[in-house]
Amino acid sequence: MERDKIVRFSIVVHAAPYSSEAAASAFNFTKALLHQGHEIYRLFFFSDGVHNANRLAILPEDEINLQQQWDNLITVNNLESVVCITSSIKRGVLNKEEAERHNLESNSMYESSEIGGLGQLVDAALNSDRVVNFGS
Amino acid sequence: MSSLHTISKAPSQGQLDQCLSFLGQHDGVLFIEDGVYHCLEQLDLPEVDVFSLKEDMSARGIAGRNRTTAKPVNYEEFVELCCQYDKVVSWF
Amino acid sequence: MVHDMQNKDPQNIFTFISRSAPYGSNRPQLCLDIALTVTVFGQDVNLVFWGDGVLQLIKGQAPEAISSKSISSTLETLELYGIKDIYVDEAAMNKHKLKPSDLVIEAKPSGKEALLTIIERSSSVFNL
Repeated sequence: MERDKIVRFSIVVHAAPYSSEAAASAFNFTKALLHQGHEIYRLFFFSDGVHNANRLAILPEDEINLQQQWDNLITVNNLESVVCITSSIKRGVLNKEEAERHNLESNSMYESSEIGGLGQLVDAALNSDRVVNFGS
Repeated sequence: MSSLHTISKAPSQGQLDQCLSFLGQHDGVLFIEDGVYHCLEQLDLPEVDVFSLKEDMSARGIAGRNRTTAKPVNYEEFVELCCQYDKVVSWF
Repeated sequence: MVHDMQNKDPQNIFTFISRSAPYGSNRPQLCLDIALTVTVFGQDVNLVFWGDGVLQLIKGQAPEAISSKSISSTLETLELYGIKDIYVDEAAMNKHKLKPSDLVIEAKPSGKEALLTIIERSSSVFNL
């Protein structure tokens, strides 16, 4: 493959931030992809990875808020980011619609990601040149 | 189709041993996260290209302790490796 | 930006390496859930139970004892979804003293050579 060819990637994140390095690795890898000018078809968060979309995380001042970093990266670069609903609702990561549907007082998910299902993971694998999984 | 295998756990977790069963002759191995600790000891690998993520080695203070043939690469080179091999198989 | 779901290439081969024991982690169930979703897209699936993954196949599991969903019930649907290319780590079977008759499904005991071919021919590999 020629060095300057644009490659279409999807990134799959299985792990929550902080408990392991995996989510941070995925973030750094995604940044490097963008820096190299490659295309990101989709980010897919499932299992504990859905915690990366939690907007209610509060970090000490001297620590990096990875959820906020993902939100910024996704928003600034207009990335498609999907959070698997089966994984997310079990873990209390809910967008506005899901919170309302279940009569819950607040929502916990950054709006920069959308809810989806495993079908979008498979679709990403079918339509990307490369899929890279990060987990722990 | 060739594979880049990423190994993310320290040697004590035995991921590299498992990976060997799936390692083809045109494949490559990249150590990331705690996987970079494999560089502290001699590696008994078949003739495949081996790499290790610089940022993770520096974080762990082992950049100067590579006793293997693993080639240190940074994140941008990690991206290039993913393009060079046909697919990525992640061990975590 | 949203991509519509589309199937670009009918030649995709997905291989799932399932390496984890059941119930102690959610990986076995996740792995099967993705594999089954792939079949809905009409793609070929290879399913490999490797290392501790062979332990998922043991007959007579009673997960209600730990209030857990049964992995055996998902395994029993594999054939229904058209997943027939199922491989089992022969060495792990021997190590755990398991015979084919101890397993809930039929699987081909395999060694490294078969595996290498499967991986080499795959376009996507999920390793859980």
